[in-house]
Amino acid sequence: MMAEATPNPSENDDNPWKKLSVPVQDADTLRQEAVEAHHDHLITEIETSEGPLATTLRAVYDGQDIEYFMEKLGGRIKSHDHEIERMCNYHYQGFIDSIRELQQVSGDATKLKVEIEGLNREIQTSCEPLLSKGDQLVKCQKVQKNVTQAIESLSLCLPVLEMYGKLQEQMKSKRYYPALKTLEQLEHTYLPRVINHWFSQTMAEAIPRLRERIKEASMTELKDFLESIRKHSAKIGEVAMRHAAEQNNMDPKIAEKRMKKRRAPPPPNPFTGEVELPTPTSDGDENEEELSAQDLIDFSPVYRCLHIYTVLGDKEKFESYYRAQRWKQARLSLQPPPNMHESLDLFKRYFHDIIGFFVVEDHILHTTQGLVTRSHMDELWEKAVEKLSATLRSTSARLVSNGTAEGKHFQDMQSSFAESSDEQLDTDEDSEDSDEEPSIKQSCKMANLMLEVKKLIVLFCHTLKGYGFSVGRLLELLLEMRDRYSVILSEQWVQVFNDIFAEDNYTPIMCETPEDYLIVTSQFPYKDKELERSEYPRQIPFSQFVPSVYVQVKEYINACLKFSADLHLSHTEIDDMIRKSANQLLMKTLGGCLSNLIKKPKLSLLQLIQISINMNYLEKSCEYLEEYISSITGAQKDSVHIARLHGSSMFKDARSDAEQHIYEQLNLKIDEFLDLASYDWNIMESKGQASSYLMDLIAFLQSTFMSFTNLPGKVAKTACMSACQHIAVRLKALLEDNEIRQISMGALQQFNLDVMQCEQFAASEPVPDSNDGTLQMAFSDLRQILDLFINWDWSVYLADYGKQQSRYLRVPRTTAVNMLEKLNNADKKKNNLFTSLKKNERDKKKLIETVLKQLKVLENGAS
Amino acid sequence: MAKTYDYLFKLLLIGDSAVGKTCILFRFSEDAFNSTFISTIGIDFKIRTIELDEKKIKLQIWDTAGQERFRTITTAYYRGAMGIMLVYDITNEKSFDNIRTWIRNIEEHASKDVEKMMLGNKCDLQDRRQVSKDRGEQLAIEHGIKFMETSAKASINVEEAFFTLARDIKAKMDRKIDSTGPSKSAGYQLSGKDGSSSKKSFWKSCTLL
Repeated sequence: MMAEATPNPSENDDNPWKKLSVPVQDADTLRQEAVEAHHDHLITEIETSEGPLATTLRAVYDGQDIEYFMEKLGGRIKSHDHEIERMCNYHYQGFIDSIRELQQVSGDATKLKVEIEGLNREIQTSCEPLLSKGDQLVKCQKVQKNVTQAIESLSLCLPVLEMYGKLQEQMKSKRYYPALKTLEQLEHTYLPRVINHWFSQTMAEAIPRLRERIKEASMTELKDFLESIRKHSAKIGEVAMRHAAEQNNMDPKIAEKRMKKRRAPPPPNPFTGEVELPTPTSDGDENEEELSAQDLIDFSPVYRCLHIYTVLGDKEKFESYYRAQRWKQARLSLQPPPNMHESLDLFKRYFHDIIGFFVVEDHILHTTQGLVTRSHMDELWEKAVEKLSATLRSTSARLVSNGTAEGKHFQDMQSSFAESSDEQLDTDEDSEDSDEEPSIKQSCKMANLMLEVKKLIVLFCHTLKGYGFSVGRLLELLLEMRDRYSVILSEQWVQVFNDIFAEDNYTPIMCETPEDYLIVTSQFPYKDKELERSEYPRQIPFSQFVPSVYVQVKEYINACLKFSADLHLSHTEIDDMIRKSANQLLMKTLGGCLSNLIKKPKLSLLQLIQISINMNYLEKSCEYLEEYISSITGAQKDSVHIARLHGSSMFKDARSDAEQHIYEQLNLKIDEFLDLASYDWNIMESKGQASSYLMDLIAFLQSTFMSFTNLPGKVAKTACMSACQHIAVRLKALLEDNEIRQISMGALQQFNLDVMQCEQFAASEPVPDSNDGTLQMAFSDLRQILDLFINWDWSVYLADYGKQQSRYLRVPRTTAVNMLEKLNNADKKKNNLFTSLKKNERDKKKLIETVLKQLKVLENGAS
Repeated sequence: MAKTYDYLFKLLLIGDSAVGKTCILFRFSEDAFNSTFISTIGIDFKIRTIELDEKKIKLQIWDTAGQERFRTITTAYYRGAMGIMLVYDITNEKSFDNIRTWIRNIEEHASKDVEKMMLGNKCDLQDRRQVSKDRGEQLAIEHGIKFMETSAKASINVEEAFFTLARDIKAKMDRKIDSTGPSKSAGYQLSGKDGSSSKKSFWKSCTLL
């Protein structure tokens, strides 16, 4: 078609365009040409139109010259035919060639097809082994995949099994805590991984049972631990106490430091240090020092048990169990042995036990978290202190009562004290013969025991203070015990003083050599410038008893001081306390001893006199005692708070007591003489000399006052006065004795002689400075009576009766009547003997009767 | 005034210082002993009533200071003494030697008819003895006086010594009364009234009074 169409337009195009360009010559020609153009146009239209040709054909029919058009069209068809013919001639050869080529290709294609089929067959045969190999390969790969999967599974299960194995092992070796950890891991980490395996189920079921077993086992261990700790706590306490002692003795600063260190020990990690005991000693520097208390005990069971229970969520239960058990133990520890007051060892064990308990508890507090809390500890401590205080109070009370009682546990005491005080034993041998010894020694032992107990308590306080406990109440208790201690001491000193009194010779100390003098003056503050200048031997006015007492008072003060050592009291407090105790000793103990001594009936004048002299010196020594106290307590000497020693007044009292007894003793001697008096009241005439008993009495008095040159003047004067008065009273009593019904004039004369002897003595200045007439005054009553009767001076008596200046002022009317009647009686008896009355006898009788009458009148007048 | 005794004998203890005079007296009067040595100052006395032949005898025993410085005071008592105990210490040679001096003192100051007796005290201290008993006897015989060893501490012969001395004095007194009749000079005999009546009658009169 294309080939046909293409030449058509180009032909059509050529024709019109040539006709149009030819210039039109005339109208016919022009019309000819227009019709031709119109025909050309239509033909072109027919040739180019592809659709229906209806319109074109109409146009053709509508037009003129159809014949022409038909000619033209025929011409045109002819030209086209020509063209087609030429075209076919031109392409015919190529068509033939193509057919020939196509036939060749068809042959080749057949050939190729055969070849390909052959090849295909060949390939088919060669691929057959390959295919089988491929199958094998696939199988192998499957196996491999399975193997890998199995390995994976196994590697999951193995650690679980290993864990389980480890667990069993740990259980077997009783390492319960790691076992528990293992269990934990097993349960939470490993088992879920192997949840699909049957054995995991079994294991999972076994886990709670294992836990229970671990719990039980660790509880058993804890019980063993508690048992062992009870056994060891005394030892722990002892070690802790020893350390505290060392620390306190060495240097308080070190002690403080250590205390602080101990107060906040680094809390050991409970998860690393649980198996091996966390030993604080491993730090190195505190090695030996700290290898103590806690290290004696393996605490691991507690930690283990605590951890186990914590892990098992039963911590509360464990805590309460532990606390309850420990409190039970504490109560056991706090229960004192029944006879604790008998031996220091028992005290020691008691304290060790308690300290041990708290040291352990403290360790637990610091090494565990929350098993023991500070508040719980404090509560425990509170209770313990209460119990302890009560125990110590009652024990020390028993100590006191024991100290005073007869030493029935004496032997036990001795053995228990053998270690603590060697010096005690030294005195044992030389004091066996005395009956009183056991009780003194007992009291002494008690004081020592008390002191040892006090030291123990102080150390106890130190030790526990080091662990952060408040020991205030115990220190208060110590103050209480101090009072008991001084009671015991005082009892001890009663004996000491009594021994001094018994051993003294009541003779002024004679110092033969300067050494002797030095000994006395070093023991007792005494200075006498005159004596210092004098030659040896020197006589010190007091007896040995003075320095001995002084030394012993100092000893007592020292003993008291011993108790206040380590109590952390201020100087002033100690000073006050010592002064109080010293006053107690001086006033009560020494005062009591002195008073008992002075009261002793067998005391001789010599002793009484020496005692009264001694008192003077002891009185003076009080200020030195004060100085001594200040020097040992370190308190300010001129402190305002200083309690004064009341010793001086006590010594003054004792001295006046002694003086009183001197007078009484002298009077007793006088009484003894007067008991020997044997007047014959009917004697006709006196013997012309004083009675022998009275002579002896006067001689005795004279020599006594002469001998006691050391008797202080005032005392001597008073003694002399009292003696004279006593003689006068006794003599007057003889005259006025109602048993005696008659007194002869001769007897009165004899009596007068005796009184004169006394008056002579009084006037002879028997003691220095006594010649002022006061001594004679003692006999003035007697003198007036005797004068009245011997001078027969009745008129004067009656005339001056009642007047101040009367010569016979001291003769009461009753005495006069009494005496007169006795004389009258004697006369009557005599007269009876001689029957006949002489004249002057009669006169005398008359006078007597008159006088008696007058005296009766006086009586009436008086009444 | 009721008489509580029939006789009053004044006795004197002399001897060196520290021979035990006071202790002997203490033992005799109180039946006690005190080991501490308290030297006697001047003079002291004790009275004890004993009974001899149903007679109550008061013994006023004067205890003298042995120390030299009281010699003047003590010698004044020699004269009134009816019996003198010379005491020495058997553990002290010197005190024994001094007995002769004491005897001379007696001869000088005491009345001629004074009864004497010699005591060697502290005979309990055998291991410290310096003077044998025989030497004591020897000396006693020389002076014609009785001798005893005593111990105040162990209470040996103290009672016996005083009783012996008292008995001797009484015997001497009774002899005198027998030979001279109731004697005025027996001033120590407490029946010493004016001699107009016997002792018996004196007692009668006493009760009458």
